[in-house]
Amino acid sequence: MTRRRFWQVFMMLCGFIIWAVQFTLIYGATSTTCALEVAETRLLGIGIVPAVIAAVTLAAFLCTAGVLTYALREHRRLQSGNAGVTDIFLSQAAILISAFSIAAIVWQGLPALILPACA
Amino acid sequence: MLAACSGVQSALNPAGGDSQHLYRLTVVMTVGGTLIFIGVTVLLLYAIYAPPERRAWLGTRRTIIYGGLAFPITTLSLLLPYGLIVMRDTDAPSPDALQIEVVGEQYWWRVRYPAEGGRPDFATANEVVLPVGRPVSFTLTAADVIHSFWIPNLGGKVDMIPGRANRLSFTAERTGVYRGVCAEFCGDQHARMAFDVIVLDPAEFDAWRAAQASGAQAPETPFLERGRTLFRTGGCGNCHAVRGTEADGQFGPDLTHVGSRRTIGAGQFPNNVGTLAGWIANTQHIKPGVRMPSYGMLSGEDLRAVAGYLESLK
Ligand code: HEC
Ligand SMILES: [Cu+2]
Repeated sequence: MTRRRFWQVFMMLCGFIIWAVQFTLIYGATSTTCALEVAETRLLGIGIVPAVIAAVTLAAFLCTAGVLTYALREHRRLQSGNAGVTDIFLSQAAILISAFSIAAIVWQGLPALILPACA
Repeated sequence: MLAACSGVQSALNPAGGDSQHLYRLTVVMTVGGTLIFIGVTVLLLYAIYAPPERRAWLGTRRTIIYGGLAFPITTLSLLLPYGLIVMRDTDAPSPDALQIEVVGEQYWWRVRYPAEGGRPDFATANEVVLPVGRPVSFTLTAADVIHSFWIPNLGGKVDMIPGRANRLSFTAERTGVYRGVCAEFCGDQHARMAFDVIVLDPAEFDAWRAAQASGAQAPETPFLERGRTLFRTGGCGNCHAVRGTEADGQFGPDLTHVGSRRTIGAGQFPNNVGTLAGWIANTQHIKPGVRMPSYGMLSGEDLRAVAGYLESLK
């Protein structure tokens, strides 16, 4: 796999990877703090668990939105040149996957934000 | 059908905030789902039967993006937080809640009100009495197999699992008589495992509580006295407690105030001398497999005496 192809595949999977990292971080943080019984801790009036969830979800959202913007631009660039079918396919897949990952990241963050951390 | 909807055991007739939330969620999901189903069906028929030039727009990129992606994603993005908020707001524990412990048994409900303030604890069965407007918190478990505790008019259903205490909280907001059921198959008589739920004014509830906590009434006539003797000699007290007498069995329902309950046999029969006598003589016939033997050998007169004695235990 050439360096360029590796990069294209990586960008295609980026949405999934960010989604998985977000999942691990927010549910990891929630269950760890619950198990250690520190989930109710507040710093400066803000609960640490909701703060971590909100920060991680926002970061994941922005990163994936960046990937989507990049993939859209790349796709437009490829279409105006004479790119091969594989290049076009990979850029289309990157658009689709990052767009779905944005929805998934929001949907995944909501329960952690709305429901009590430890039940 | 309509009569069932206004009934004492109906999730469509909510009598508390939580059941109201759950009911609204059900309506939103059902009506919304039906509308979408109709829309999709119409489009499907259109795609099949409309002339090609008129249905061409269905296959365009634009239709797919808006109808196939944007619409479902938006709908789900709205429904998800709505559902989660309902979930967060229902069954929310409250610190000053009235505590009640219920144990599911094959095939009846053991109910205990722990001591509160100066008021002593007591046990009853197959009946849950609640004060209107005050949060209650149930601790639910099971003695033998998995049961499930459900009062459709008042709250969600919660499994009762042996060796584990589950919790359920809600506030009843309308006085009245409701009915709870076992909502998890638990054996042959699962379908005959129900209980009465009575929501009273706070003052009436306090009076009920005080009456339940007191010992059993002494028999007032020789006939009832005979019933009480038969209750002792028949060995009923090995399984049933009648507080204030030597009967202290814990295996079956507490009968100290059985005469004050609306029903017997776990919500199966109206409570009166006739049904009590029928129950005692034919337990295994009425509710086969239940953990109380039939006392068919009692003479009619004896049976009436025992039933009369139980009925007098108000
Ligand atoms: C082996 C134990 C046992 C004995 C002995 C026994 N019972 Fe029971 N009894 C039970 C159980 C268990 C139930 C609950 C049945 C059910 O699943 O509905 C019950 C239920 C009842 C009920 C209905 C209570 C309610 O609130 O629904 C009455 C009344 C009753 N018994 C009376 C008697 C009398 C009177 C005797 C003696 C003649 C007697 N029992 C002997 C175990 C026993
Ligand atoms: Cu049951």
